[in-house]
Amino acid sequence: MTENAKTTFLDEVAALPACDRINECIQCGVCSGSCTTVANWEYPPRKAIAMIRSGLRDELLSSNSVWFCVSCYLCTARCPRDIRPAAIMHGLETLALREGYKPPTNTTTMYRTFADSLIGNGRIYEFGFMFKYFLKTNPLAALRLIPTAVSLLMHRRMPLAPPKVKGRNDLDKIVRKMSEGGER
Amino acid sequence: MEPKIGVYICHCGSNIAGTVDVEKVAEFARGLPAVVSSRDYKFMCSDPGQDLIKKDIKELGVNRVVVASCSPQMHEPTFRRAVQEAGLNPYYFEMANIREHCSWVTESRKEATEKAKALVSAAVRRVFFHEPLENKEVPVNPDTLIVGGGIAGIQAALEIANSGHKVYLVEKEPSIGGHMMQLDKTFPTLDCSACILTPKMSMVGAHPMIELLSYSEIDFVSGYVGNFKVKIRKKARYVDITKCNGCGTCMTKCPVKIDSEFDEKLAKRKAIYTPFAQAVPNVTVIDKEHCTYFLKGKCRACEKFCERNAINFEQEDEMIEIEVGNVILTTGYKIFDPSVMKEYGYGRLDNVLTSLEFERMVNSAGPTAGHILLKNGQEPKSIAIIHCVGSRDEKYHEYCSRVCCMYAMKFAHLLKEHVHGAEVYEFYIDIRSFGKGYEEFYNRVQKEGTVFFRGRPGEITDVAETPEEQGKLIVRFEDTLVGKMRRLPVEMVILCSGIEPQADAQEMAHKFNISCGKENFFTEKHPKLDPVATMTDGIFIAGCCQGPRDIPDTVAQASAAAARVLALINKGKVEIEADTAIIDEKKCSGCRVCNLLCPYNAISYIEKDKVSRINEALCKGCGTCVAACPSAAITHKHFTNAQINAELEGILV
Repeated sequence: MTENAKTTFLDEVAALPACDRINECIQCGVCSGSCTTVANWEYPPRKAIAMIRSGLRDELLSSNSVWFCVSCYLCTARCPRDIRPAAIMHGLETLALREGYKPPTNTTTMYRTFADSLIGNGRIYEFGFMFKYFLKTNPLAALRLIPTAVSLLMHRRMPLAPPKVKGRNDLDKIVRKMSEGGER
Repeated sequence: MEPKIGVYICHCGSNIAGTVDVEKVAEFARGLPAVVSSRDYKFMCSDPGQDLIKKDIKELGVNRVVVASCSPQMHEPTFRRAVQEAGLNPYYFEMANIREHCSWVTESRKEATEKAKALVSAAVRRVFFHEPLENKEVPVNPDTLIVGGGIAGIQAALEIANSGHKVYLVEKEPSIGGHMMQLDKTFPTLDCSACILTPKMSMVGAHPMIELLSYSEIDFVSGYVGNFKVKIRKKARYVDITKCNGCGTCMTKCPVKIDSEFDEKLAKRKAIYTPFAQAVPNVTVIDKEHCTYFLKGKCRACEKFCERNAINFEQEDEMIEIEVGNVILTTGYKIFDPSVMKEYGYGRLDNVLTSLEFERMVNSAGPTAGHILLKNGQEPKSIAIIHCVGSRDEKYHEYCSRVCCMYAMKFAHLLKEHVHGAEVYEFYIDIRSFGKGYEEFYNRVQKEGTVFFRGRPGEITDVAETPEEQGKLIVRFEDTLVGKMRRLPVEMVILCSGIEPQADAQEMAHKFNISCGKENFFTEKHPKLDPVATMTDGIFIAGCCQGPRDIPDTVAQASAAAARVLALINKGKVEIEADTAIIDEKKCSGCRVCNLLCPYNAISYIEKDKVSRINEALCKGCGTCVAACPSAAITHKHFTNAQINAELEGILV
């Protein structure tokens, strides 16, 4: 492609990881028909792909579509053209964040808190992780989960103290290496 | 005769000249040894192009010709003929492929030009050593073998037999008829499939020029165009075909009931049976795997009641050998098994049918006498028909099966006809109604009130979310034209399973020395201009064994294959290329290594002379024996050591 050729929304998405087959979509709708959370989507996945092709960038990135993808991969398992719709949905999430669109769900906070807990403790620390997540989002919503928490505690399925992991220094080195030069 | 070489560089419009500097190549060729004329021309294959060669042969005394153009697959015969018409032996010709091997696959003009020069130089040095050769003619046996007794095989057999030539029609099942016999109506005219097929079947059965070998399989094939030898295994029927008159008493007396393959397991048949009432030949066969006598050693009820003593439990498979000049393969297809697509629930959910099961159900001679019935015996009020099951799907078959859209719409029409007030929904990705009268049929089905949803369903489920969905099959899909998600409760789902090659397609291709494509359909010689021939002369293909197609196309193709065979029979002889191997008997030590290696069984050992000898009619010129001979006694005519060394030298200098 020459330098002054305008990059389309389609080109932009096709360049994202594992999204290169988007041109081959035949709009059959199997992805939508298989999607487990599609009831909440403003535009079903098939339509999201059509919108990418039409260049409706702002309309799609500012919508709540994509953010409800729970990575069940049924769409990807059934897609007759192997275009990997789940990868496209996650690619769009990345793109929307990078462009400063505000996510309509707490998905990003969840991802970030999860990753912080993992990096900080070397293993998931459920109690601390959920505590921080609710602090950042809606502390009142945590009240609803108290019975579950109590039950987990009583069955000793949720320790109150953070887990002890051997070789924390090595883990830090790995994380540092991974973060070098890229976004975390 | 001192070699005088003429070199002709073809532009092929811009195909070659767009990448290769043809004038430079022609100039380069002028400087090569023994070249007396070197020209470039827009289209060498055109008449004026050929005339350039002829003129040089006559006026300049050119006696060796090199044309640098396309692949010899395309135009070697054209130029050989031109050379011959000018009075030279056609083997004084060599072709340099500077299109497929050069201009089409090289980007840089400089590199392409250099490569073209090398290829021309190789051809010039090679043609220097060419020798005159004579093609041989062999007679063509006027008998024909047709493998597969579906509509394609039946059509081809009748065409050839009606011209007065003998046909052997081999069918692996007990009766001819194939898949077409299973169908109810045929789109778009809605002719009853059996009504138009059975007259042809009985014509085959009664035709004096057709020898029908039902319940038989191809065992081994040898020979070459005009002269094939084929071993056929006639499987034991345990019923004497000359005595049985098809009265059917044995079938009523047989105590064993098994799922009928013909009725897609929706009905039962006996262990002694004919697949359907109009079977040709109308002779029963005993299913050894299920017959009580073969399993437990007693019963023989059929034998007791057979008035003509036709039952013979001692019958064994019989091998016969026939000689034929040509073969037509019409081995057909099988349908895709949708049980691998778990999301559609075939085999798990009741009332999810394949298309062939529905064909049997809607047929008045079928298991339900033409009534559309659910498992509970009631008529469905709402039916979903899902297109593209196993087709247009990279996980199964990338290709379009070509018939599903049309038969799916035929189903919609039949449903409206058979079930009063039925709601019919078609789930399609694209409607492909490309044949004569097909689009009109689509309009007709729309008018009848069938609802078309554009969208392939994600899944069929029996998990209800609302009271209306209770006890129904729910189709989850996106109505893609509206962009809305839908759940549609229906009572019956028909899956339009695609067409796929027979399971033994590869094995069959191997037996007849032809090739299969990526999906295992037989490969035609040329996809556009030679669709019924194969790369093996004398072997032709027709119908779905070559790719998915409907009945009109299959019949047309079968007639085309018959015409090709008749042309060969009529001519009575075929020319065999002269580039075969030859054994210098003075050098042959009689070690017989070549005998064992020859893939065409063309070499035999002559006991009396203690040497091996090659049958030129059988030799395909593959060169295996030449490379293997420890005494270097075998020469490949037109691929001599001198010719190949000169060619290599030409490429390298």
